Amino acid sequence: MTAVDSVAFFDRLADWMNQHPERFAPLGEAEMVVVVVMERDDAGAFRVRLVFDGLSCTGVAETDEAGAAAADFRLEGPLEAWQQMFADIGSHGHAIGELTINSLALVGDRIACRGDDPMGLDKFSRFNQTLQEFFDGSAALAVTTG
Amino acid sequence: MVSATLGSQTPGKVYPDLPDQSPLGAPLDWAWLRGTRSEWGIHPKPSARGLTMMDIAVGSYAEVPEHPPHRSMAPRGADVDDSTADMGYILNWKTDMWSANVTELYEEAVARQWSATRDIPWGELHELPSDVEHAMCQLCTLLTEVEMIAADLPAKWMWRMNHDFIEAKMFLCTQIMDEARHAEVFRKRALANGGGLLLSRSGPTSLLRTIIEAKTYTQASALMHLLGEGFVLDIFRMGELIAPTDVEKRIFRMCMQDEARHVAYGTMHLRYAVDHDPDVAEEIHAALDHGEQVLIDFGTAPDVSTALALLLAGGADQVEEKGFPLATELTKKQLTSYLARCERAGVGRLERTTIPLDTLGIDVEQIRAAGGGQVAAR
Repeated sequence: MTAVDSVAFFDRLADWMNQHPERFAPLGEAEMVVVVVMERDDAGAFRVRLVFDGLSCTGVAETDEAGAAAADFRLEGPLEAWQQMFADIGSHGHAIGELTINSLALVGDRIACRGDDPMGLDKFSRFNQTLQEFFDGSAALAVTTG
Repeated sequence: MVSATLGSQTPGKVYPDLPDQSPLGAPLDWAWLRGTRSEWGIHPKPSARGLTMMDIAVGSYAEVPEHPPHRSMAPRGADVDDSTADMGYILNWKTDMWSANVTELYEEAVARQWSATRDIPWGELHELPSDVEHAMCQLCTLLTEVEMIAADLPAKWMWRMNHDFIEAKMFLCTQIMDEARHAEVFRKRALANGGGLLLSRSGPTSLLRTIIEAKTYTQASALMHLLGEGFVLDIFRMGELIAPTDVEKRIFRMCMQDEARHVAYGTMHLRYAVDHDPDVAEEIHAALDHGEQVLIDFGTAPDVSTALALLLAGGADQVEEKGFPLATELTKKQLTSYLARCERAGVGRLERTTIPLDTLGIDVEQIRAAGGGQVAAR
């Protein structure tokens, strides 16, 4: 079992994406740098930088505040919100209802999409189905969500 | 007999035995073999995903002139004969339609095409409460109506664009296909679950007419890409949030990807235009002064606001307690995104807009910061 606030978890998500081109090829190539920020009460924020290039996730690395600021956009929220999202994906095989990444980021009270450049922010919309499919990949992994 | 020399690939090579007449006696011209002024032998290399338009933008073929000398359909980079016919283009300056990201966006558009027939899980539709089905059908009626403006508008202008700006024209072709697919998918959704197309009234018309009747392409782009499609992009994002089934979730996610590409082109086209011709900013502002007014009329039109509010509430029961407050909050985000894109495009609207920023609680400083991003113009 892997905790979601770990590089190991996102490494596994990246591996899953890279091993399943049949899920991503129909969506087409994507180019974006995303930073996921999970705010934790006791251990400070966990920030992971994800690089999407073509049909692959080619980079997973923990990053700091400056690294997060350089991404196209950041997805920021408390760890509990992320755990809830991944638990929902695990339960249904994919995100549903108000727990899709677009819905969460649009309402913005649990997970927000932030960035300094509207052109970077708009990549969240331009590649949204790819990003959702990437997160939905966690349904195939053994994950600790709380 | 004439002899021909093969350009710069094998300089000096002569083909002495070529005929100067066809078997039927017509005169023959071997100028293309004799060597042209075009660049020869550049050998662009495919990247990991294949041979992209970026890959072939090498040497002189990468040079997009500010003001092409020809007005023909000759491909940029060819050795164009002076006698080639004038096609009557009126958009002959790069600033008229170019954007720094247009070639990449074309490749992205081609790579991310989808089918409204095949890629939507239509079989997963199930019966919905009557009020929700009505609201979804009303929203789809509206979207079917407004989406084709973003096909008609580029079609109106493309044939007047100088052919040297082929990448921009190719991108606009993808936009036309995208919008056809959007009209298709919303029409299909309106019919597919036992409902149908509902009410069409005059609300959207003033916005659509404003866009299609814009006096210049850059004004039209500001009204359509930045204002109209930016607004619709956020409606798609809301649609994904309020989608009652996975079918609508998928529809809205796929559409928002397309729409965001169009917004990205428009934002950076305006940026390019303003950076290279600062006088055009006032022209854009004048269009947006009027456009914002008609957009607000459109957004508050009863058929749009009530259908969205009902879907946001999840039904008619909570439309006042939940639907309208959430709609107001999302409208604030919609306008924030639009104003931030204006800053990025180099046409900051904060000092000029009549949108009631204070009343809506819009964070002006957050918007102002969006103007800092820079993309190298090329």
